[in-house]
Amino acid sequence: MNTQTATAQQADPQRKSHLPEGDRRRRPKASGRAGMPLARRLIQPAFILVAGLIMALVLIAAQGYEPFSTLGAGLDYALGNPASIARTLAWGLPLFVASIGVCLAYRSGMFNIGAEGQIYAGAMAAALAGAYIGPMLSGLHLLLCLLFAAVVGGLIAAGLGWLRAAWGVDEVLSTLLSNYIIMLFCAYLATSPLRDPARQSGTTKEVFDTAMFGEIMPRTQLTSALFVVIVLCAATWWLSERSVTGYRWRMTGESPDFAAASGISVKKARIASMATSGALCGIGGALLVTASQGRFWTEIGTGIGWDAVLIALISRARPVPAIIWVSVYCIMRSAARGIEQVSTVPSELSLVLISGIIIAAAARAGIFSQFTALKQRFAHVKGH
Amino acid sequence: MDWIDAFLASGIRFTTPILLAALACLPTAWTKDLNVGLEGAMLFGAFSGVVIGLSTESGIAAVGLTVLIGAACGAVFGYLITYLRVNVFVAGIVLNVFAAGATVYLLRSMFGVKGTLSDDRIPAMASVSIPGIDGIPVLGAVLSGHSILTYVSWAIIVVAALAVRYTVLVRHLKAAGEHPAALTAAGGNVTRMRILAQVWCFALCGLAGVQLSMGQLTLFTEGMTSGLGFVALAAVIFCRGKVLLLALMSVGFGLSSAVAVQVNASVMPPQFAQMIPYLVAFIGLIVLARTAKDGGIRIATPVLED
Repeated sequence: MNTQTATAQQADPQRKSHLPEGDRRRRPKASGRAGMPLARRLIQPAFILVAGLIMALVLIAAQGYEPFSTLGAGLDYALGNPASIARTLAWGLPLFVASIGVCLAYRSGMFNIGAEGQIYAGAMAAALAGAYIGPMLSGLHLLLCLLFAAVVGGLIAAGLGWLRAAWGVDEVLSTLLSNYIIMLFCAYLATSPLRDPARQSGTTKEVFDTAMFGEIMPRTQLTSALFVVIVLCAATWWLSERSVTGYRWRMTGESPDFAAASGISVKKARIASMATSGALCGIGGALLVTASQGRFWTEIGTGIGWDAVLIALISRARPVPAIIWVSVYCIMRSAARGIEQVSTVPSELSLVLISGIIIAAAARAGIFSQFTALKQRFAHVKGH
Repeated sequence: MDWIDAFLASGIRFTTPILLAALACLPTAWTKDLNVGLEGAMLFGAFSGVVIGLSTESGIAAVGLTVLIGAACGAVFGYLITYLRVNVFVAGIVLNVFAAGATVYLLRSMFGVKGTLSDDRIPAMASVSIPGIDGIPVLGAVLSGHSILTYVSWAIIVVAALAVRYTVLVRHLKAAGEHPAALTAAGGNVTRMRILAQVWCFALCGLAGVQLSMGQLTLFTEGMTSGLGFVALAAVIFCRGKVLLLALMSVGFGLSSAVAVQVNASVMPPQFAQMIPYLVAFIGLIVLARTAKDGGIRIATPVLED
């Protein structure tokens, strides 16, 4: 926790150095990746891939199975034929939207870890719009559900963004706390006033059929929501990386003082980027309802928001790496399911792996510099 | 007056794990490495307590070993965030996800159970009833009949409050967060202090977890911390490093959890009572940002690596 002597305008002060020799941590974008040679850019993914593979193999071997063939069986389950690829992808659709939403805000210097809450709010909004309005023309109804979810998610995030921009309320902590307030409120709605009397407590009424995406591949749960996700990802990429607005937001994230000095409204950028981020998370939640569950229930999206935050971290808030990482994560999850079917390795393997991978990725620079320091020390000892 | 007794007793029961976890987190707030992984650390503590209890059939061994393992994990965590320069916030978030996955993973691969592990051989923590006070209506419910760890947590409050007043160690911990350069100049070791705070945090989170899984019940359930770690975190965020305020907040949050369970759902929906800690911390955060001269609490936007 940093109780910095920071004014509200001076965003994101780097923590003061704990190491006497000076902390050389930089801001996410400052390292100028475009100029880096390809080989150096590939070090990080290669390191992560190798670390992840080793962890997976060790964990499988520890359960007494032949690691390579078991892993192969898992991958075959995830990617073996078009139907399994579709199934793998179907689970990840909400995560794609939510991750890219978290990335967008993170890029603007706003760490939105309230994704979980915004997803729940979006899911609730979509479930209500789907069940209490209509039935009507399916496309229109779906649009309404998504729009409703986007507005709810966006408003929540915009409010938190405003608190940060106007009053300097730390958005990392406020979004963290907002998660539980929103989730508990949704749980209240689903158990008391809006619960489906015909079902057990904690679920809302089922949405009309017109508020459900149709399957595009039979019995894979892959729905036409796929196209919505593709459009949203492409639009967000354009907004973040190619548009003037996105440039302003990124500037705000990298150096708020510079942005302010060059005439960018930091306040506006912060609120708007948070609102967009929240809207995307809300849509992610809406997809949970309209593309698979068909109703809201109290544990509809458990963990997806946190997954999105982890993915935003590991992809350093870049949209394209984020999409790649979500795909990788989907494959990991699906493969873990497959492994569970051929062995007794629990499918929680994927959760264990993704956490291990992120810590390995975060520690990589530190490991390398420790290693170099050690080598230098040995050289020093030898020199005497 | 039975319901008051029942309510207070249940409030104290809820308070203990929150209080232990909040006291665990406190030094990490001093060193400005706020550990948001309380939930995960508690979950591991609960799991380890049950597993060790089941295999040794001894409550003391379960508590002792869990604290030791916690301390060791804290050292590893401290090493990660200092020498390997992993962002502490990232590490904390990952710890929560990791604990949720890993405890289920271990539960299923070690015992082949899904959901809940309960066994008669898991020893229960002895509950202490103080003779004399036991029979007094309200006082008895508050002071007597709790598990040993409840009394331990009260002792830790006293020790921590005294330590803040009189010891150099706490001053060093705070200096490591507020002014590392000054601590270095004074001959202290910033890195060691930061690691020490994490060791303390994990050891105490282990205790909080054991209290959950062996304090009243003797079982482990997937995700049994159910947000208590974040309630404790809310208390730490709210109290800004003050021990007594922290204890007070923890008791308040424990009582509000008891309201959620004890009060009839038609009178007050349980979710609203559960919301209280987060709302209080949230409002506290806003008030702090509006009133504090230095702009309140600020967590630097976490960066995965430089």
